[in-house]
Amino acid sequence: MSRNFYPELVRVDACDKVRGITRFGTDNRPENLAHGAFAVATIGKGRVLSVDTLSAEALPGVLSVITHRDTTSLKPAQFLMAGGYAFQTHSPILTAEVAYRGQPVALVLAETLEIAIEAAALLRIDYEEVAFAATMDSPLAEPVAQAQAPMRYPLEDVSVGDALSAYEGGAVKVDSTYGMERQFQNPMELIGTVASWDGDRLTIHEGTQNAGGCKFGVADQLGISPENVTVISPFIGGGFGQKNSMQSQLVLAAFASRQLGRPVKIVVPRRQLFHDTTSRPATRQRVRLAADREGRLVGALYDVDAQTSKLDFFPAEHADTAARFYGYPAFKSFTRLIRTDIPTPGYMRAPFEHAAAFAIESAMDELSYQLKMDPVELRLRNDTAVDVVSGLPHSSRHVAECLRRGAETFGWSRRNPKPRSMVAANGDLIGMGVAIGLYSGSGGPTRARIIARRDGTVTVNVGIHEMGQGAVTAIINVVAKRLGVQPSAVTAMVGDTSGVPQPLTAGSWGSTSAMPAVEAVCDALMQALAEAGVETSGNVPLGEMVARTGRDEIQTDASSVAPGQDPQVLGRTDTGRVAPAGPVYPGFVTYSYAVHFVEVHVEASTGRIRVPRVVSMFDCGRVLSPRTARSQAIGGVVWGIGGTLREGAETDARYGGVMNGDIAEYLIPVNADIGSIEVGFIDEPDFQVNRSGVKGLGEVVMAGVAPAITNAVYHATETRVRDLPVRLEMLLRSQE
Amino acid sequence: MTTDRQDDVNSDISGLSRRDVLKGGTALGVLAVTGIDSHALAQIGNPSLPAAFRTEIEVSFRVNGDRSSLALDPRSSLLDVLRDQLGLTGAKKGCDHGQCGACTVHVDGRRVASCMTLAVQIDDLDITTIEGLSEGDDLHPMQQAFIDHDALQCGYCTPGQIMAGVACVREEHAGSPQQIREYMSGNLCRCGAYPGIVAAIADAARAMEG
Repeated sequence: MSRNFYPELVRVDACDKVRGITRFGTDNRPENLAHGAFAVATIGKGRVLSVDTLSAEALPGVLSVITHRDTTSLKPAQFLMAGGYAFQTHSPILTAEVAYRGQPVALVLAETLEIAIEAAALLRIDYEEVAFAATMDSPLAEPVAQAQAPMRYPLEDVSVGDALSAYEGGAVKVDSTYGMERQFQNPMELIGTVASWDGDRLTIHEGTQNAGGCKFGVADQLGISPENVTVISPFIGGGFGQKNSMQSQLVLAAFASRQLGRPVKIVVPRRQLFHDTTSRPATRQRVRLAADREGRLVGALYDVDAQTSKLDFFPAEHADTAARFYGYPAFKSFTRLIRTDIPTPGYMRAPFEHAAAFAIESAMDELSYQLKMDPVELRLRNDTAVDVVSGLPHSSRHVAECLRRGAETFGWSRRNPKPRSMVAANGDLIGMGVAIGLYSGSGGPTRARIIARRDGTVTVNVGIHEMGQGAVTAIINVVAKRLGVQPSAVTAMVGDTSGVPQPLTAGSWGSTSAMPAVEAVCDALMQALAEAGVETSGNVPLGEMVARTGRDEIQTDASSVAPGQDPQVLGRTDTGRVAPAGPVYPGFVTYSYAVHFVEVHVEASTGRIRVPRVVSMFDCGRVLSPRTARSQAIGGVVWGIGGTLREGAETDARYGGVMNGDIAEYLIPVNADIGSIEVGFIDEPDFQVNRSGVKGLGEVVMAGVAPAITNAVYHATETRVRDLPVRLEMLLRSQE
Repeated sequence: MTTDRQDDVNSDISGLSRRDVLKGGTALGVLAVTGIDSHALAQIGNPSLPAAFRTEIEVSFRVNGDRSSLALDPRSSLLDVLRDQLGLTGAKKGCDHGQCGACTVHVDGRRVASCMTLAVQIDDLDITTIEGLSEGDDLHPMQQAFIDHDALQCGYCTPGQIMAGVACVREEHAGSPQQIREYMSGNLCRCGAYPGIVAAIADAARAMEG
């Protein structure tokens, strides 16, 4: 391991977190709090005809029952990717429409949660039900070619060279189709809101990755000035994309609070989170790869069907990632969106990259066996310094080094290439697999403010959210190093709209956006000190420099944008919108990369798969906080294991909804599922993409884990699994 | 496993236990008392509950050494009472169904899922929450080990992991990494901090026993 540029800083909020004193959104309990509970739709699609509220309202302690008849003053939310702030266009309880099973249809407010839950169950709701499509295979599902879909940000298919002819003329070919069920983020912290009014000023406590979007979005729905709304989200109990936009309960909590004249708390139960928020869409991906006898790819065809809702066209960006794996001379994609009656899907960690890696890297493994070529060698032969889609150079791409270092650390040379050739002492079949993953290197406009005080303390306020990835620890590491102060002297304020604007933290653009702004504001501070006549080049402590200005504190502001962005784009994030750039910048293209080596042990008679060992190498640019980065990377591998072997939402197409809609039935990894995970970083800064040299880490860490596992399963069992999650019967069937 | 442990707790508490409720209640009453939100209720007529179930029940217990006496809705979970009435928000709600362990607290020294424990069950018992694990500024060895191994990210499951981890050691179920993994698998961590959690518990076990 090379020595890290930045020091190992202990996670700065760990001490509060282990003491249980970190306050998450719905830990807030203002005086006189009322509690809300939803009644949810028991039909697959249709409309509410009537709600009999008599029994519920007669219950002592019930304060109010809110149905669509009460909410006519509220404006429907708009989809994030259609110029709005919400995860979808549809707003439950704002109309009589039921767009999918499990959608909220009424909200009960009561003195206690117990009474609210009981009253919600007492509501008698009559519906008109209509036919619906709950899955991609349903007869009423509607496929639409994505390039023709009326989307605000249209997505073209990728076309490089004559891929069909190249494929047909190839010497060695693979043609396989890979399926993946819907998956759900399931952050441990439930989605919820505490809303309270002070006159015409609204305060929202909510765990959200997008405090700015919630502020402007809820103001728009309520018809009030955004200046009167403060959204506070300093800590998020995991987001993983599910908390990246305004959720259904937010406007209803604010509305109910205004109606009641007292604070309202709504915590959305886990089962309801499987029915009224985003998921990773189900996909079917067909990959056709052709190579010459030496293993050089000559052409690739890539067809994707991705589930969306009938409410919105959720963009499917799989092809943009798939086209960047290798130096294909010719590549052609065709993406269809399959419209179904579910909540609009969304951005679950590595939203497209997890699926795309599974398809491309499984196909590459299949190709390696046809070529009788080592899978690491096949990947090295097809590495590229140039982006085949744009023709531009990659600003950095250390895939080959990740492959070599990973192979050495893992002990790849001990792998017998023949399937079913390695057996453990207890009879388990041993398999070893490799795969790569990648994720767009994005960045966007961000503002920062810094205050340095005479006593040597520093407070930095920047537009980013702390959801456990270690953003605040990284910020403090950067500020401390840049200003030459102790980390303990620095505090950071994030996720609070009473400070600088708080744009959406997602898409692995958190650090890539915020850290350049943090560095810029540190420089602005030193500039301000210099302009005040203070000598800033010596060894004078920062507090002393402030003192020499004769003032108690110095405050400066700064901002940054991604390469090629007009600074005016700051106006977008100032109004709660998203404005990322990348991965294609003027003159170059930027991606982060992962390489995973996985060992599986498959119990021969039951097909049970264990993952005792993973070695992963990452090229994410500069590592700003080695300790939290390592944890984030390990967590990403855990996500990959879950997303391969455990996670899939099951829907009975006759009824809609999610049958396994809780975390006892929708399986996420538990401690006993996880073995040794060793991670390493190249830690080479990429100063083309931003001044901090960072490319993004949070999502690439799980990209490629899935095919590394299924490739290892093939090596162990000689059974190719092409559908996720892997189920035991897939292995047992092949042994009959 | 959680259920078994709770039954153990139930068996030695006086007053209203879950078993008594199950024996004495009607089907509807049981559903309401156990907090199950069932659409079936709405479909089988007026589910008004017997007046007896509305009675507030006096419950007296100790939380982190302090005695509390509260008149409680018999349906209230220990978790909701801790969080909403006593302001002890360290225990978290991640599922409300005993599936995730984020609400883990100690009842008379044993770990329980407080979301699955009716508050009326804890009459006269001792509750320890994350807020009461350490004294003053001194951290419990388990808390320190979680920091040392960065055994957390978002921190939402952490109070439950730490309370479960302390119990895991006291139960003598922290003898090997394999054993820790098995006995900590009732506490989900979506950030995926499991390797750090196992290392932290192994470390803390040495400190607690030393």
